Amino acid sequence: MDFKPSPERQILFDTLKKYFENEYSLSDRNIAAHSDLGYSKKAWEAMRDLGILESLIDPELDGFGGTALDISTVFEALGRGLVVEPFLEVGILAAKVLSRGNDAQKSLVKKTLENECLPILAHSERDTEYSKSYVETKLSVEADGSYKISGAKRMIKHATEATHFLVTCRNTGDASSEEGISIACIPTDREGIKIDSFATIDGGRVSDLTFTNVSISSEELVGELGMSYSIVSHAIDTGILAICSEALGIMERIKELTLEYLKTRKQFGVPIGKFQAIQHRMAQLLVEIEQARSSVINATIYFDDETEREKTISAAKFSIGKIGTLVAEESIQLHGGMGMTWEYDLGHYAKRLVLIDHEFGDEDFHLQKYISL
Amino acid sequence: MDLNFTKEQENFQIEVRSFLNDNLEPQVVEKVKNGIPITKEDSERWHQKLNEKGWLAGTWPKQYGGQEWDVVEKFIFEEECGSAGAPRIVPFGVGMLAPVLMKFGSLEQRDYWLPRMLTGEDWWCQGYSEPGSGSDLASLKTSAVRHGDYYIVNGQKTWTTFAQHANMIFCLVRTSNEGKPQEGISFILIDMNSPGIEVRSIITLDGSHEVNEIFFSDVKVPAKNLVGEENKGWTYAKYLLTHERTGNANVAVSKRKIQKLKKLADDAKKNEQPLSNDPMFASRLAQIEIDLQNLEITNLRTLASVENGEAPGAESSIIKILGSEIEQDIDNLTRKSLGKRAFVNEPDALSAGYNGAEVFPKAAAYASGKYFNHRKKSIYAGSNEIQKNIISKLMLNL
Repeated sequence: MDFKPSPERQILFDTLKKYFENEYSLSDRNIAAHSDLGYSKKAWEAMRDLGILESLIDPELDGFGGTALDISTVFEALGRGLVVEPFLEVGILAAKVLSRGNDAQKSLVKKTLENECLPILAHSERDTEYSKSYVETKLSVEADGSYKISGAKRMIKHATEATHFLVTCRNTGDASSEEGISIACIPTDREGIKIDSFATIDGGRVSDLTFTNVSISSEELVGELGMSYSIVSHAIDTGILAICSEALGIMERIKELTLEYLKTRKQFGVPIGKFQAIQHRMAQLLVEIEQARSSVINATIYFDDETEREKTISAAKFSIGKIGTLVAEESIQLHGGMGMTWEYDLGHYAKRLVLIDHEFGDEDFHLQKYISL
Repeated sequence: MDLNFTKEQENFQIEVRSFLNDNLEPQVVEKVKNGIPITKEDSERWHQKLNEKGWLAGTWPKQYGGQEWDVVEKFIFEEECGSAGAPRIVPFGVGMLAPVLMKFGSLEQRDYWLPRMLTGEDWWCQGYSEPGSGSDLASLKTSAVRHGDYYIVNGQKTWTTFAQHANMIFCLVRTSNEGKPQEGISFILIDMNSPGIEVRSIITLDGSHEVNEIFFSDVKVPAKNLVGEENKGWTYAKYLLTHERTGNANVAVSKRKIQKLKKLADDAKKNEQPLSNDPMFASRLAQIEIDLQNLEITNLRTLASVENGEAPGAESSIIKILGSEIEQDIDNLTRKSLGKRAFVNEPDALSAGYNGAEVFPKAAAYASGKYFNHRKKSIYAGSNEIQKNIISKLMLNL
């Protein structure tokens, strides 16, 4: 038995950790994260130069990683840095979908690595539906064999700068059926697409997209007509693994920040960490964070096991959702007023940690899913 | 990352499994699986079978009759025992005193006491807690005063598990009031049949008899029964406690109990449906299952780090907190799953000679009793609050 990452992955993690500590200042990050763009192009390019995207992509698409362990390692480091640039959206969601497409679509992944395009998956619809198969957006077949799509996508991160949308749509089946789902890969300047973008609480812009009779050619479908649920499902499962790992990195950083605060902040003449009421809350957080880490390790181990993947992924997402919210709330409480300020790092980590529970299904959703599997 | 056992470890697992299959007595397993206390004779027969195989004290060095199991082998053995419903090895002699004697005892003490633990000639109990010294153990007052070749012991111990069965007790006693409280404590072995010892039962809230009070009035103890040096007992006690706190994950036992709980919930009905389909119940159960799955990995991570030569520090405190709380959660849900039948308390229903009405489901015989009895798990072996103190000090450096 050995739970240590391989030496290569440890080096990768340490390199990224150090890079974010030295080069990715949180105050710059916050300015970029809450700007009109929602992230920093300069930071995005610098991190791409570092090879972070490649580490998420399979070797056959010119990457040098892409396994569950690679993804988990990199996203834990990204979490520590509170990186807001679109690694999840581009390096995981879009890349996983495109990797199942035709040669032209696969080549988009390679172009992404060269910073020539920015594909974004447009899948989620109704705000309170977390089911992976929930798609209302309609795909209709025209007389000439081409297609049109109409419908609305909600809460799509980093859509404003996208060059391509990977739009899920259906030509058959009810809204939550796994049958009948297709994916269209289209340039974002195609006629009939409307983008309404919003600021977010945790950084990065988010958009509602409306598609009105948008024309699609048959070459623009990723995978077979109506048969693409497994592609979306796998991409989202990978995304869940990634953000669970990101949450772990955030929790570890929050733990460090909070411990540092408990050791330096003095009241009644002693560091507040000397008070047992504080110590026990902090010890409980440590215990919970270890359990969260175990849940992510479990999901990583079983990720390529088709029969166990969804169950361990749901167990991990449930654990992360429950524990993440606890860690965020407790760490703010332990920081007192300091935890409430914009200027101090903690609050920004706490916000992202809580909002991770709203991505790809919250703790209740995944507990129900776990029960059903 | 590699979660698999080695080939040797897998073979060992198979060997343990088949040994348990061939040697466990079904009636005792039935009691263990229903949480009903087993008798002294049940324990003694099981110890003897294990000793014949050389597995009563598997972690001991070969020269004393052990197998020199490493942490993973110990884990495999305990997990297999847990899932098979084997009686727990009574830990006070082989698991707790023995490591202390091996590290700090004299050659004569080791040669005399260790073999007797294996043969069952001695049944040990642990004299640590006192009425005024629970979590604050170092404040203990039971005194031992040297008179020639003897110590004269006066005082009181409490919460002494199985003192009613024991013929020997290892005790922490005060031999000095100088300096810090920790610096005046000694570790001594006392014959329970000595004049001046009185054992009184403590019946716990579930009606069972596991723990006792022991009163010492001018008890003469041979000076050769002192372990190590006078006033160094605290060091030995702490060493012992680190042994007491390992192996508290109880993952296999908890897994077995969850399977049993699922079966109960499948058979019970609510709203004309199996209770297991009730969303509230299913949610409670699933949360426990996920916590346990996470604990299994947390525990293996700790084992792997010990296997790789890192000392088990406060990690065992994490395991103790989680292991005890998860088991309590299962006992709690088991009680709930029985509905009105949870009122029943007939722990003898699975013992030979019981002639009352049959309890159905059998789990109901002691489900509420066990739930209350297991509140002890977050209290004993260092309460969970003490574990958090340890985590704060050793891992958080607060």
